[in-house]
Amino acid sequence: MNGVLSLASITLKEGIRNRAIFGIFIMALLMFAASIILTNLFMRDIIKVAADLSLATISFSGLLMIIFIGTNLLSKDIDKRTIYMVISRPISRAEYVLGKFGGLCLLVLVTTIFLGIVSSVPVYASSLIYHNPQTIFVWTTYITAIVFIAMKLMLISAVIIFFSSITSTSFISLILTVATYIIGSTNETVKGILDAKMEGVHISPPIAAIIKTVYYVFPNLSAFDLKLQAAHGLPIPAEYFLWTPVYWLLYTGILVTMACLIMTRKEFP
Amino acid sequence: MDSLTKVFKKEFSKKKVVALNSLTLDIQEGEVFGFLGPNGAGKSTTIKILLNLIWPTSGTVSIDGKSAAHKSVHELIGYLPENPYFYDHLSARELLWFGGKSCNLQNTVIRDRTEKLMQDLDLTTAMNRPLRSYSKGMVQRAGLALALIHSPRILILDEPMSGLDPMGRRKVFDLISSLKKEGKTVFFSSHILHDIERLCDRAAILINGGLKRLITVRQDLQPGLTLEDVFLDEVAKSGGIRE
Repeated sequence: MNGVLSLASITLKEGIRNRAIFGIFIMALLMFAASIILTNLFMRDIIKVAADLSLATISFSGLLMIIFIGTNLLSKDIDKRTIYMVISRPISRAEYVLGKFGGLCLLVLVTTIFLGIVSSVPVYASSLIYHNPQTIFVWTTYITAIVFIAMKLMLISAVIIFFSSITSTSFISLILTVATYIIGSTNETVKGILDAKMEGVHISPPIAAIIKTVYYVFPNLSAFDLKLQAAHGLPIPAEYFLWTPVYWLLYTGILVTMACLIMTRKEFP
Repeated sequence: MDSLTKVFKKEFSKKKVVALNSLTLDIQEGEVFGFLGPNGAGKSTTIKILLNLIWPTSGTVSIDGKSAAHKSVHELIGYLPENPYFYDHLSARELLWFGGKSCNLQNTVIRDRTEKLMQDLDLTTAMNRPLRSYSKGMVQRAGLALALIHSPRILILDEPMSGLDPMGRRKVFDLISSLKKEGKTVFFSSHILHDIERLCDRAAILINGGLKRLITVRQDLQPGLTLEDVFLDEVAKSGGIRE
């Protein structure tokens, strides 16, 4: 266990000191600042626009961060042979995967907490500048939305770790992760269209079967999107807090277990 | 090592390359063992099998009576890879913390050993700097410190002198000498035959994946006969080096 924790710790340190992260943070800060200016363009519900933009900024910045740092994590270790230094110690290949994934999750946690705190400034500023007593805004829902963004980013981290265990080329794992992200963000909408059985729209059975397979195989990332609820102060059903974390835990667990199994069978010549 | 054979398959042509051919070696506890051979002889392949980085096609390896694949065996070993590359943004202190923690050492022990090793290896002033700012020799010495942080009984060093300037080489030479005095088992590969001659109790000459000769340095090297003479003679006898 010490091996996993120490590896996670140095992975976090490496990630935080990566120059790419500074660029992403500056971009996020500019987007937060811009959200204050952009809200001026709207006549009403300004705090909702600010909350929506802030959550989108956290999600996008976090995604950029794990893609830039995560896709290089395993492949660079294998390419530069830094992995020799790790698995020549009493750390198994599976523990190596767990340590790297743990480090990436810690990085997601640290950055979402930081961005979450910073994002509250434009939201709070909007509520003060454009105060409207009729607007319903619930801070706990806003914080819950940030927690679910962190969960989504950790799930994408598991996707990255899984693809990186299959291929040692970081570009291929980047392409596969981005493709998974795009499919995962849209598959619920596509399945919704299929299930709606709109009049005059015919979807052939093979296409419908493919859509259903894609829906169940790829992660449903829109399940973690609470922007609408946070912006409009809508209540979140109690069962959401049970089934979404269970889905997250199962999907992430399966991906990381498969990555561990693949790495256990890998040689490092 | 008992009848170790390793065959690599080329990715596209599926052509087989025999990197090691029935290598049998028995290294005694407390001895300094030199492993020499031309480039491509199979030295690094043997070391990678010892460390469970790759697996033999056939044959077995046991360290201290246990299989090399056993995780606990790795606590006994300190390893320095050839041309080590560590995490860019970590300092040598953080690298050694990781090394110590992965072997279940207490923080106080890690701190004390880090200070001592950094002093011994002339890295005290640079220990808090990121490793990417280190010169090649400094990286090599940081790698040695990492191999030694958990005070292992066995040291496996792949080309420890490679890329070092004369002062760095001297430092590593002195370090291996002191490890020998402490009774550690040191297994190292090198192209610097003079160092092997001075440091090792025994040495093995590996050519084209096969063991050509096992030398007991004090017995087999008489005045006027150097290890270089023996090595070149063995290379000539084996009909040259496989490309």
